[in-house]
Parts: sequence; structure tokens; C-alpha cells
Amino acid sequence: MFISEAKTITKIALALSVVTVSAMAGEKLKHNVDNAVIYPVKNKHYGPYAVNPQSTKGFKRGRTPTANEIKAWDVAVRPDGKGLPEGKGTAAEGEELFTKDCAMCHGDFGMGGKGYPTLSGGQGTLKNQLVHPENGDEPPVRTIGSYWPYATTIFWYIKTAMPFPHPMSLTNDQVYSLTAYLLSVNEVQLNGEDIDDDTVIDRKALLQIHMPNEKGFYPNVENGTAEVAKFIQNPANYGSVTKRCMKGCKDGKIVHIKYELKDFIPPMSTVRDLPKEKGTKTVSKAQKLYEAKCNACHGNPAIGAPVVGNKEAWADRIKKGNDTLYKNAIKGFNAMPPKGGSMDLSDTTVKEIVDYMVEASK
Amino acid sequence: MSKITDKGVVAKVAGSRRGFLKNIFVSAAAAGALVPMSLEAGDDPDIVKEPEWGKKLGFPVDKTPYGYPSPYEHNVVRRVTELLSSGDMYASVAMCPIHEIQDGIIVPNGLFFDRSHGGVATIDPNKYRLMIHGLVEKPIVLTLEQLKRYPSESRIHFIECPANGSAEWRGPQFNSIQFTKGMMSSAEWTGVKLSVILEDLGLKPEAKWMLAEGSDNSHMARTIPVEKALDDAMLVWGQNGEALRPEQGYPVRLLVPGWEGNLNVKWLRRLEFGDKPWHAKEETSKYTMLQPSGKAIQYFWPMEVNSIITSPCPEKPWTDLKKGDMVEIQGLAWSGMGTITHVDISLDGGDTWVEANLKGLVLPKSWTRFSYIIKWEGKDMVIASRATDDAGVTQPTINQEVGKVGVEGVYHRNAICSWEVKSNGEVNNVHIRS
Repeated sequence: MFISEAKTITKIALALSVVTVSAMAGEKLKHNVDNAVIYPVKNKHYGPYAVNPQSTKGFKRGRTPTANEIKAWDVAVRPDGKGLPEGKGTAAEGEELFTKDCAMCHGDFGMGGKGYPTLSGGQGTLKNQLVHPENGDEPPVRTIGSYWPYATTIFWYIKTAMPFPHPMSLTNDQVYSLTAYLLSVNEVQLNGEDIDDDTVIDRKALLQIHMPNEKGFYPNVENGTAEVAKFIQNPANYGSVTKRCMKGCKDGKIVHIKYELKDFIPPMSTVRDLPKEKGTKTVSKAQKLYEAKCNACHGNPAIGAPVVGNKEAWADRIKKGNDTLYKNAIKGFNAMPPKGGSMDLSDTTVKEIVDYMVEASK
Repeated sequence: MSKITDKGVVAKVAGSRRGFLKNIFVSAAAAGALVPMSLEAGDDPDIVKEPEWGKKLGFPVDKTPYGYPSPYEHNVVRRVTELLSSGDMYASVAMCPIHEIQDGIIVPNGLFFDRSHGGVATIDPNKYRLMIHGLVEKPIVLTLEQLKRYPSESRIHFIECPANGSAEWRGPQFNSIQFTKGMMSSAEWTGVKLSVILEDLGLKPEAKWMLAEGSDNSHMARTIPVEKALDDAMLVWGQNGEALRPEQGYPVRLLVPGWEGNLNVKWLRRLEFGDKPWHAKEETSKYTMLQPSGKAIQYFWPMEVNSIITSPCPEKPWTDLKKGDMVEIQGLAWSGMGTITHVDISLDGGDTWVEANLKGLVLPKSWTRFSYIIKWEGKDMVIASRATDDAGVTQPTINQEVGKVGVEGVYHRNAICSWEVKSNGEVNNVHIRS
């Protein structure tokens, strides 16, 4: 058993596709796929580190995972369909979900403006270089439609990381619906046809989609690391150099800061003094829950939700009375989904959080 | 037995215990009645007057079972700015105050920069599991204790976010080293080499890529080639002698020495081996470098050779120096492709260069200190550093880098950094470029 495994490893080590050899200071250095030097273990040393040269074979720990355990955790989705579950949805269903759970951060139709990533638009901007903003240069806009190479990545990302305050809460059908919606607002096509409100996007359809910028990336990695290695091993490809210029190297003039950014939190200081006394605050359970579940929206002025601590924004709302605020928080109000999307919270807990938010905004 | 009394007279006291005690009481009484020494011209009152802390008990040794820095060090902290976040502080970055890491190559754990994509997860180590599966002969699940039973090693490596310095592509914007280069830190990491575990599991021959996935809110996943997994990648649980901090992925993160910070997946729960890369969101939508051609570089892993002068810098200027003072210029050099071999210094805005000296530990894929001593002439000058590694790569000028990759790539900026030192000792972030 050990021998065959060791053989497997050796085979792979030998198969390192792109180990080149360069000569520096008379010593031959091996390079890995990232152009990094591979330091051999010799004389009980790895570079400057002493190492124990004894065999580490046979440490075998742990147990074999069950099929169900692998299924629970293996949620990654590859462009070739590996890991993409069955399910289906339409853009119309997705729009409803998006308006309820996503638009408050990503803007209507994913057009941004709320401080979080813009999800649509940007086609034809990738060659833009914002060198001279004063001349009206525009930056490139990298969105799902203008930039993302694979539709499977949309499904995977939404499923495991969205909605931001409570990920892993959507069903596969809901994720298909949101994916369909985002493809449709980006005018991505399925087999040459527009994705309409009622076009069904399922596993098979998603795998047939070719994103507009699919060919926008290099080096190619579909056949292994050889092309990456070749690319990285030539520093000229990414603007680095291989010569140390020592004299007459002047390359430009002194450019000073034009618009200084200095909104640092806390403000910059290197003074050694005693901190100003702060009152001791105890953090309530409601505040902790607020910070974990609600602050992503209610702490961000760009979202449009009343920011906790902003007395002006809360004055009129507080006048409506707690019962109205409780009802709105539990049932949802305007862009806010019921319980802010955190359906695991009990009504009583939501009321406690509302109490905290009101107290902190008086 | 002799003793110096308050009046400076050496007195002989009785050798008996009783006499000794009596003598102490007498001198204590005399001290209480003593008039403080008067300050003469030229005296430093901080010397002549006994300080408060010398005249009372300090705090007891059981006051802080886990110790804190001196309260006077309260400004030595990570800092954030809303400009480098998505509008909240969950998918955001807190920058390391590298100007306060005065020497050496270790960042205290509380100051290590923190880039997280969905807040910092708090994981119960008793419920922690690591799954390794896919194209392996024997998939496994490990508890934390089982993982820690593998033979361990400790290595000093930096971790740098590839967006370090990304606000500077078009021109200088922050007059601060913390905000131009603070998306990196360095620590001694303890864990097991991944190759040791894979030797037991047996990789199948068609296994070419490894997916590493975190268990936090973002479930961040990245694809890594087996060539790196088998070379020097580690599963680490220790950071500078204690458990990983939550911000660094407690209880276990992947360490891929020298590679993009993002690849060092925190709160690691799963490694899967496959025959093709996964094209995760963080290797397509982000962490790809858009070029002037409109095409983007993908799967660019190593952090290229780089350096920065940490003293002086905008936060630590030379305003206390007088013309003619001797002073040390020092800084940090690092490379994800190997070991630093040379650091050159320019005192004239990059026209002429001299070789500086390396100092301290010179380790692979690690921060390395450099030092160069000059006499301060009190005149305006522009100073810069430029590092070279044993992979044979040297830092480019801004024109060389931008000329090739443009200004919209966001990631992997490693052009030479310059500081303008004014005649009054103030230091400004400047660029030397067309």
C-alpha cells in the first residue's frame, strides 16, 4: 500500500510539467509552475531551516467520509457541470427574489449604485483605461455580463455566498431563478435566443450558455499548468524586469498626490499617550444579533435603509410607534424583506432587535 | 554590612537581623521627610525627579492572564477606510501598521492585516472537520486533534493581498505606508506540510488541481495546482506560537507560501482534488488582471518581488533630525518566487542606485530587512528601494510596469515605491513616472 502510494506521488512529482533549470551563482535552481525556486531538502535542511529527515509515511489519521457527508459539503460547481445540481427557474421568478433580497445592495436590475458590486452593464468597456479622469476617461466596468467567463460560477457563488447576511438559505430552484434573472438583465443568450421572463433555466440549459467574455482570459489552464508556467516564467509578460539598472536610470518625473485620501478609521496617529477614557459598554444579545443580521444594510448609508444611530432618519419612524416598527420588521417593508431575510429569528427576537435599533437611534 | 543612606553616607550597620530591620525603618522614615532634589539648569526633570511608577506598586502579575500592549501604544492598530470596502466592514480589509513594525520580520498577531469576504467566522474547534476527497485513493475526514497529530513544522512567511497598493495604479493617493502597503503581514506559521498527508492518501495520477474551500459566510474557494500542493503548501493551526487568530482562519487555514493572500484559504474545511480547475468567483470575477488589450490574466499566483522603505515613511518622518545627523534608511523586501538576493537604494529619485545591506534572517518567501546608513544633509531628496530575488526577477519602474499591464489590472502591483523627504524631514508619497 505504502509503496504504491509513494509511487503515485513520485509519478506526479516527475510529471511537474514545467520544471526548468536556471543557473545563478553557479548553483542550479529548479523552478516550479509559478517561477518560484524549489529548494531541495538536503543535509537535513530545507533552505535555512533544519528539518527532521525521518520518513513521515503511515501517519494515517481520521476516517473515510460517508457519501452523504461528501454530498453535504461538495457544493462547488465547475463549468463542465461537475457539482451542478438538478433544478430549474425562470427570470420572472428570479426578479421577484432579486427585488426582495438583492436589489437593496446591488441596485435595480443589478445596476449597482448601492456601494456593493454592480452586476449588469459594462459591455464594451473592458479596454478602457482610466488614466486621465480629468479628461473624462471612464474605467472598465466588470460585471457578470461584461466580464464573467462562466455561467456556472454565478450559480455556485449565489448558492454558497448570497444573500450576503444569510447565505446557504436558498433552494436550488431559487438559485436557478436568480441566475436566469441575472443572465437576462445582462442580455446573455441561450443558444442564440434571448432569455425571456419565462425561459426555463435548468442544469442542461445553464451548461449550454456561453458567456460573452468566455474567451477574455489567458493563459489557458484547461490542459494543465504548462501555459501558465510558460507565462509566469517570463517576467516581461507582467511588467517586471530581469536587470538591475545602476546608473542613468531616471524614468519619469516626480508626481505628487493630487487628491489625498485620508479618511482613516481610527485617524492616523503615531503619538504615544494614554487613550481617552471610554465608557464601559455592555453589548446586549439584541445588539449582537443586530450586528450579525441587520447591520450590513442598516449600517450602510448607500443602501437607503435608515442607518442606526442617525437620529434624523429615525425620528419620524419612531413617532409611528413600536407596534408599527415591529410589524414592518417582521412582515417586511419597502425594500426590506420579512425579518430582513433572517427567517430563523423568532418574532420576539426581531422585536428585541427593533428595540435596540430604536434606542441606539434616539 | 554597608548600605548607602539617603544622604549618600555609607554606614556600617549591625549584622543581626534585628539591627537590619531597625535600620530599614529608620531610612524609610528619613526618605519620607526628604526634600526632592532641585532642578538645576540643563537637568532633565524626567531624570532628576523620581517618576510616579518608581514610587508605587505596579499592577499585579495576575491582572491580565492574557497580556496587552502598554496603554501608551494604543495608536498602534490596524486601520480601515471606507474607500477600500464594499460599503460595510464585513467584505473589507483592515490594514497592518507596518510603519510600527520597527525591525524584524514578525507581525504581532493582533496587528496582522485582515481581509475577509463575509466577516470573521467564529468556529468551535470541537466541531471543526477537514475533508480531503476527490481524486485521492483514500478520502478522509479529520478532526482538529487528529490533524495536529501529524508531524509539524514552522515556517516564517509573509501573506500579501494581491490588491496591496492597488489604489496607486493611476497615481499616489494615500500619504501613508499603512494604506499603500499595509495589506500584508508576516508570521511564523505552524502546521503540517500538505505533502505529508497526501503521501498517506495517495493522489490519483489524473489529479492536477486542488480546490480549497472555507466554511465562513463567503465559502470562499480557490483552485491550486498540485505542483504547489506537493512543494511547500501547509495546513497551519499556529501563528507566532499561539493558535491562529479568528481573523486568520481559526482553527485551520491553508498556507501557500508566497502566493496571493486570497489563496491562503481561511477557516478551511475542504480540499478536493480534480482534473480541471474550478473557475471560482474569486478566480474569474476577481483576482484576474484586466490588461489594456481588454483581456485578463488569470491564475497568476505568486506575489512578485517587491520592497518598501519603512523608515523614513510618511508616518515616521525625519522631522527630529538635524543637518549632519547619521541616520539609517531601512525597509522590507519580499518575494513569493524565492529568496531576496539584492536590495538597491536610490537617493536621487531613481537615477542612480547603490546596493543596500540585508540584515537579520534571510528566508525563502519571507519578509527580509534591508539597511543603508547615510548622513542627513537636510536637503530635499527622493528615496526609493528596489529588490531582486533568486528567481532572477527585479522590481520594475512604474513606467515599465504600467507600460505593460496598464492601470486597470487592480492586482499584483510591484513597481518601485518612492518617498520624497523634504528639507524639514517630512516625508511624502510620490511617484516617479511619466
